[in-house]
Amino acid sequence: MQIQLSIDSVNKSFPSKGGSLPVLNGLTFEVYEKDFVSIIGPSGCGKSTIFNIIAGLLEADSGDLIYRGQKVKSLRGKVGYMMQKDLLFPWLSVLDNVLLGLKVRGVDPKESHNTAREYLSRFGLSGFEKAYPQTLSGGMRQRVALIRTLVMDPEILLLDEPFSALDYQTRLYLEGFLLDAVATFEKTVILVTHDIDEAVALSKRVVALSGRPTSVKNIHQIEIERSSPIDARSHKNFGEYFHTLCSELDIQTQRSSA
Amino acid sequence: MSSWLNSGSGKFFVQFTAVALFFILWQLGANFGFVSEFLIGTPLGIWNRFIATIIDRSLFIDTGYTLLEAVLGFALGTIIGTLLGLSLWYSKWAAQIVEPFIVAINSVPKIALAPIILLWFGTGLGAKVILVILTTAIIALIAAHQATKDCDKDLQSLLYSMGGSKHQIFFGVVVQSSLPAIVANFRINIGFGLVGAVVGEFITSKAGLGHMIYNASSLYDLNSVWVGLFTLMFVGFLLYYGIDALERFLFPWRTDTGRSHIQM
Repeated sequence: MQIQLSIDSVNKSFPSKGGSLPVLNGLTFEVYEKDFVSIIGPSGCGKSTIFNIIAGLLEADSGDLIYRGQKVKSLRGKVGYMMQKDLLFPWLSVLDNVLLGLKVRGVDPKESHNTAREYLSRFGLSGFEKAYPQTLSGGMRQRVALIRTLVMDPEILLLDEPFSALDYQTRLYLEGFLLDAVATFEKTVILVTHDIDEAVALSKRVVALSGRPTSVKNIHQIEIERSSPIDARSHKNFGEYFHTLCSELDIQTQRSSA
Repeated sequence: MSSWLNSGSGKFFVQFTAVALFFILWQLGANFGFVSEFLIGTPLGIWNRFIATIIDRSLFIDTGYTLLEAVLGFALGTIIGTLLGLSLWYSKWAAQIVEPFIVAINSVPKIALAPIILLWFGTGLGAKVILVILTTAIIALIAAHQATKDCDKDLQSLLYSMGGSKHQIFFGVVVQSSLPAIVANFRINIGFGLVGAVVGEFITSKAGLGHMIYNASSLYDLNSVWVGLFTLMFVGFLLYYGIDALERFLFPWRTDTGRSHIQM
């Protein structure tokens, strides 16, 4: 498989009381073309820091990002970043929110309007173009945020716990929605999640991180043929992967017999 | 609570009754000698003066003067202050240099500058406008600067990750998200605008509500003083609600969904 992005021995520390706090310690992993990689790890291990470095919001202290064979500073402008907060601009309508990335890039307004409307209708949001975000439900808002991310046609989607603020039903629905979109548009996805179940149900590979200072502990190939995230959860291998990853994160799944 | 008293007309009824009762008691107090007509005036006397100043048109002229000074000064002061406050976002360094000076200037009651301003700029309209600019600009500056500091960092990061330039982030996020706080501050600032105009007129002037109040009180014409004060109150009231309407017009996305209120 073709490597799209390598993260090569990236170090990052943050200034803190009495010196500096190392967060990333020689972090190294690869992302293939059209890959779906989930990153799991103990909370506070710097998962979001990795994204901020890839997106160009933070600079690594050392280490390289190699994109399709070329060393790059960051993938700013090439990534679609989506976070737990939907980050819709409250003063913009749904349509204008979706258009944001295209506007920044300076795409011809007429063309981008058509694209935006097409995406909105494909994902069942036509009729809401003029609505303001605060009149929509949490699930709809997150769907708009996902469309905004997709419509820019980014080379890599960076999803930082995008569904963790939603209720379980909405989350299952949006997971399916995401898988469909990724398949349709052939996107590469890096998903940060604290939810092992979600990681197994969605990804092709899972990168398990150690606690801070963070490095890659293990990479797991998830071999599940899935047509939907619900499907994946009833696959015969699902349970095994789930348990492997739980033990990877040192989660006690059984009460100790003490 | 009774549903009628809780309705719009019910609330208005309560407010109206309270005001009417206040004036009736005042008038009766004056009639029976509990209240000094000479030192406090009476509602009927105020009404007579009100009609007289309307007939000789002096009330309109005075109100016009004060309103012009306040609104013109407020508009200019707000524009200057807001632009400066917003632009401080561009350079953290400049902001840090300037911040203590802003605090220092702000801690001087701007009204205390009135005598020198009138000394420098004369007794006319211009001097009062400048005084109002001084009182409002610094407040607008602080409000705008604070609003840019409160702007959601994640929204800025999002636009940056999309490849947005500093200008795009400034106009697309920082200015937009600061506007509501800036406009909300207009309510306070328009009040300061009136203060500046009236105090300027107290010191020296040929017309205006401050002029009218000051002259009348030195002549112990308390009824005229009240006409001036109530007119000022009315003007301030209209300006406040004008800004309220402006806010709703400018920010339709901030519609109150009713969810922000809790029942207790």
